[in-house]
Amino acid sequence: MIFARALRHSLRYALETNDRVILLGEDIADPYGGAFKITQGLSTDFPERVRTTPISEAAITGIASGLALAGYRPIVEIMFGDFLGLCFDQIINHISKYEAMYNGGVTCPVIIRSPSGGGRGYGPTHSQSLEKHFIGIPHLRTVAASLYHDTRQVFDALLKQTSPVLYVEHKLLYPLHVFDRDDKRLGIATVNYVGSPGEMPTLSIDLVPREQSVATVVAYGYQAEVARRVIERLALESELFAELLVPAQIAPLDWKPIEESVAATGALVVVEEGTARWSWGSEIAAEIGSRLFGSLRHPITLVSSRADVIPSSRELEAEVLISEDRIEQALRAVAR
Amino acid sequence: MKPVLVPTTDVNSETGIVVEWHVAEGASVDHGQVIAEVETSKALLDIVATDGGIIHQAIASRTVFELTKPIAYLFDGVPELEAFVRQQRLTEEKHGPTRSDATASEPARQRAAGLGIDLETIHVSGLITVAHVEAAARAAEIPTGALPEPLEAQPGTQRIAIVGAGLGATQVLDILAAREDRIAVAIVDDDIGLWARDVMGVPVVGGRDRLLDLFERGAFDSVVVSISTSVPARTQLRELCEKNDIPLENAIDPTARIAANVQIGTGNVICAFCHFGVGVRVGDNNFISAYNSFDHHSVLGSDISTGPGCLTSGLVAIGDRVRLGTGIFVEPHVEIGDDAQVASGSILVGSVPAGHAVKRRVVTTTVVPIRRSMSPLED
Repeated sequence: MIFARALRHSLRYALETNDRVILLGEDIADPYGGAFKITQGLSTDFPERVRTTPISEAAITGIASGLALAGYRPIVEIMFGDFLGLCFDQIINHISKYEAMYNGGVTCPVIIRSPSGGGRGYGPTHSQSLEKHFIGIPHLRTVAASLYHDTRQVFDALLKQTSPVLYVEHKLLYPLHVFDRDDKRLGIATVNYVGSPGEMPTLSIDLVPREQSVATVVAYGYQAEVARRVIERLALESELFAELLVPAQIAPLDWKPIEESVAATGALVVVEEGTARWSWGSEIAAEIGSRLFGSLRHPITLVSSRADVIPSSRELEAEVLISEDRIEQALRAVAR
Repeated sequence: MKPVLVPTTDVNSETGIVVEWHVAEGASVDHGQVIAEVETSKALLDIVATDGGIIHQAIASRTVFELTKPIAYLFDGVPELEAFVRQQRLTEEKHGPTRSDATASEPARQRAAGLGIDLETIHVSGLITVAHVEAAARAAEIPTGALPEPLEAQPGTQRIAIVGAGLGATQVLDILAAREDRIAVAIVDDDIGLWARDVMGVPVVGGRDRLLDLFERGAFDSVVVSISTSVPARTQLRELCEKNDIPLENAIDPTARIAANVQIGTGNVICAFCHFGVGVRVGDNNFISAYNSFDHHSVLGSDISTGPGCLTSGLVAIGDRVRLGTGIFVEPHVEIGDDAQVASGSILVGSVPAGHAVKRRVVTTTVVPIRRSMSPLED
């Protein structure tokens, strides 16, 4: 099953099993069904609870905030992650603050879904991965869709808790086939859950036992799939082995599985599509560098996109965005 | 028999996935009935029966298949279906088992070509690596007939076969080197990669099958199990020897101090500077590391493994298959039950029930890299 369909099934399941769930967003109702068709068919079956809104991200998020305070479970779609800037005040000054500000007297469990990422030639304002600007916000969870995490389980878990959530979906994931969780193997790799109990699962993807790997690669979302391809190719071409860790929740992060893996491999490469510097990778480098000071074989390597505007031209876009080549170079440098 | 094909108008897809079967194997289906859901890269298709009949699913649920191949066959009756399945099974057997899904890395392919190893003979799930190929090459180089023979020994000396070619074997060999009446003539290990190598001049002659074979031929007299890290392995190997009437032998370092009225069973490895106080009783097949001291009238069971520096007071009882870490102190009258495990650095002032673990937070000194200015070498 492709990811877009798995996500639609998960939203449908949420609507079916929890009558407080409300979907809000621009053009999400039928017949259009959302810019990426994720909500297609849902407004026909749940006309009261799947609502197309006017074009104002601040208003959509503000309404969701009010609904959440009143006991509903709003799931908002922001058509492009780039538009999250328009919701920033609602998120940073309202949604994420209420519970702590009122000392637990209220909760504001808004879930904001947003297609993000580049690689499709959509240009400077429809291609970014802006989650780096949200991951430091206290009391906000940031979760990234991946091909390996079961979307329904993730939404189940998110609806069982009451923190506000930013859920980023890389556009390039939509047409890809999801990993069947009943299958412990992904091609020639083995997939294991290595997360701490009670946390969202982190997955480890291994071609050989961890002890034979020369590096731990941490990646999320679509870049996890790109990293997986690079790791598989390097293993096949030159027996350069690395262990891939894919967290579902990228902030706050479950450090234990990363720490355990890096303690065994001695090297860490963090892969993310966001711009270089002041990033998710920087924070992981700071934390793991401090936890494993003295037992790293190689400096922690961060692979990301160039800190620049994403061009519309496919050729120029490819130069700015992170690529398989850059991940490969980083791994080869670590293995040397 | 009528094949059911997936109607493909989609030229982009060569393969599809059976998402779900709507009818069971061997069910009777009607013409036009939806039998399965198939996903291609472009669409999700309902597959309908092109005729009525008894259905045989040719593709399992959730598997990828080529769209040119039939997804199912329809038969007029159950006997026809059964005959078809039987025939298919025969064809499969003739062509050998279906190839494993293992893939070899490019270096492994090149190594296999260089060594003349057929990758099909390597059975691993997942990736075949150079290490797998080299292990297979070593195994192939050593046909059972070509395995090394045990060493010769002077008449009257006890000829010992050591089980386990790891670092424990070097400890046992070192102990035996000090004994003129005993000599290690062979080592066995189930790791094929170690066969035909040697440990301190003693050949690794094969695995446990060779052990039984050599004992039948009278090539050695007794066995010492050198494995110290795995209590289950020690236990299992002792049982194997007992079942085949192979005697176990003690390997006791000459620096061990054994007091009066001490009883020691068989198959024990006792390393340097151990002390067994007056009246201590020791079972069989224990691995006691260096600097252990069991004070007077203590009782040890069998298949125990200890780390260095375990000290007990008098009148302590240790059960079977107990695993002790490094540096453990035990107060008098303490009883450690069967299968118990005790963490390094523990001080036992009370008894440990069978099957329990004693945990201890091990405090290590903080280790930091030496700063150049602090280095004692650069004064």
